[in-house]
Amino acid sequence: MRNGNKKTRHVTKTNKPSDSNTPPKWDPLRRISDNSAEVLKKVDERLDSLEKEYFKDKGDKDGNMGNILGFHGVSRRDFLKWTAVLTSTLMLPYVFRQRVARAANILTRTPFIWLDMSDCMGNTEAFIRTAHPTPAEIILNYVSVDYMESIMAAAGYQAEARRVETIRKHKGKYILVVEGSIPTGLGGKFLTIGAKGETGLKITKEAARDAGIIIAIGNCASYGGIPAASPNPTSAVPVSSVTHRQVINIPACPANPVNVVGTLVEYILVGKAPDLDNLGRPLWAYGGRLHDNCYRRGHFEAGEFVRRWGDEGAKKQYCLYMMGCKGPFTWNNCTTVEYNQDLSFPMRAGHGCIGCSQPAFWDRMSPFEKPNAEAKIFFPAVESTADGFGLGLFGAAGAGIAAHAIYSGVKRERDKHKEGKGKKEEGKDKKE
Amino acid sequence: MKNIEPANNDIKMIHRMTVIKRVIHWALFLALINNIITGFYIAYPFLMFGKSPIQAYSPSIGVLSTGETYQAFIMAYVRYFHFIGAIVIDVAFFVWLYLAFFSLKEPLYKSFMPFGDKMNEAFRMLKHYFTLKNKPETTRYQDPFNAIIFTFFHVLIFLQMVTGFQMYVSSFTGTSVIGGWWPWFMHFTTDWTLFVFGGLTGVTLAHLFIMWIIMIFIIYHIYTEVWRSVMWKEGDILIPFGGYKYTKNNIEAE
Repeated sequence: MRNGNKKTRHVTKTNKPSDSNTPPKWDPLRRISDNSAEVLKKVDERLDSLEKEYFKDKGDKDGNMGNILGFHGVSRRDFLKWTAVLTSTLMLPYVFRQRVARAANILTRTPFIWLDMSDCMGNTEAFIRTAHPTPAEIILNYVSVDYMESIMAAAGYQAEARRVETIRKHKGKYILVVEGSIPTGLGGKFLTIGAKGETGLKITKEAARDAGIIIAIGNCASYGGIPAASPNPTSAVPVSSVTHRQVINIPACPANPVNVVGTLVEYILVGKAPDLDNLGRPLWAYGGRLHDNCYRRGHFEAGEFVRRWGDEGAKKQYCLYMMGCKGPFTWNNCTTVEYNQDLSFPMRAGHGCIGCSQPAFWDRMSPFEKPNAEAKIFFPAVESTADGFGLGLFGAAGAGIAAHAIYSGVKRERDKHKEGKGKKEEGKDKKE
Repeated sequence: MKNIEPANNDIKMIHRMTVIKRVIHWALFLALINNIITGFYIAYPFLMFGKSPIQAYSPSIGVLSTGETYQAFIMAYVRYFHFIGAIVIDVAFFVWLYLAFFSLKEPLYKSFMPFGDKMNEAFRMLKHYFTLKNKPETTRYQDPFNAIIFTFFHVLIFLQMVTGFQMYVSSFTGTSVIGGWWPWFMHFTTDWTLFVFGGLTGVTLAHLFIMWIIMIFIIYHIYTEVWRSVMWKEGDILIPFGGYKYTKNNIEAE
């Protein structure tokens, strides 16, 4: 698991794109350095120092992962396979796989604060309630969570003290994971947590100030999600709106454990946030559109669509575009990484995507089971589909044109009639 | 005096549309018809290809052929033709924009200068549509009322272009055969539509709705030109075909 320096030659030396005018969108070496040997050296140095900090001795370090995974019946071989999968998911070069394993080991000891704000705690549930957890989910279960309302043993003032102590003790080092949006209405009073009744707004601000890295998990924490859906009675906002620090968004409902662990592993490896897209999501996970990687895409191009639930097309796994699949509007890696112990994802299960990793999906992606063309558009005093309103305007314009045609026809005849009567008058006008 | 037919004293011919403008006009016409039909299909795929007849449960959803998936490529072709039509429209738009300022024959901006007078004239034209009296004099430039309408139409075309490119670039992952600058450029120029219309779904709906307004423009435009030809008897409908119309005013000559 150690010492990959020998294999440095596997890493390509330069990663500059062919045209140097545009900045590279994706750097497999994480913008640490252009020299791959130097990158590996820096990563190894970081891992060494972290291992020294979080593990008592060599036995502790080497036995830790075996203890955790063995308890869940995951063999060493399964774990190594998983590290290879995670390395490729992270779009890291192959030599990084030992380092990914080391980072996963370190991750189980890294201090954590997991805050649950206003949401259904579906992300927590998704991670801790799996029957046959993958290494990703097991690692998430074993991270050294110093504060997490849903699973911690401490209660009341004790729990509060634990959080304050963690923030003080591990200043600048702990990982802050926030789940759920933060209500800001009434000074944050819509959400109070703990024995002191502090608002979620205050707790998040305090924890975010000294965190090593801030990760917003789930659509609620990333973009406000369902609590922030129109009309947003509690003025809920995403985490990025209450702190000035960088927030890594891992949206989806619930977020995929692979994406969460991948981001954490990358933080352990590199010590900084991964490359993010313009919505604050890691590019390695959210760089592709569901529609473009969907296994039903061929049926889309062929014009083969499911028209009703359970029809012939549904049995043949045709495209779900007509059943309201929002895959064309959604960036995520569901179609390649998959959910539920890497078993399935919405389209494989026969239902379209609902776009849960996009901002304001509850408002913008609905109706979920109808094509986007049947969504309502909102004008002042008009609520209709684009086609409905457009057709209405078209009809009105047609009626107006017909009316004008009749009017001008009649008017011309009448004028001609008048002209016959009053030719002399017109002649006078012309002279003038 | 070049434009005037010497044999006719009352009725004179004026040159209105140059060859390039007529080409733009008909290219736009064909591409718009193409893009309206294909766009409807992309928004709501009404035809089914390679289907078993069980799926055709409504008269609007016909079965054109029965076969296997690999034999059908209808959506891909429809999108392909939609993109080709879009390129034609976009090129026509930019040529129009250039000619609106730098055309030697009839730059559109002349129809707006001086602005106050021309707006007044446009209003008189609108009044004339309803009173059928006091027809404003038509000159060798675009009449101001039509100039306003056509400018509005090209604003719609511009909106279709930016919303369309926003939907187009969403399938890119930052690279392209012609270089990374191309998706970057499309993001740079069209990402503002995401904020204006509310995400990619909103952009799609805006694209769909603006198409309806363009259709309204088309029928309005055809009606107006026919109406002018009938009411004025100056052969306005002939302009996009031959480039000439007739006029009865004497002021035309200049």
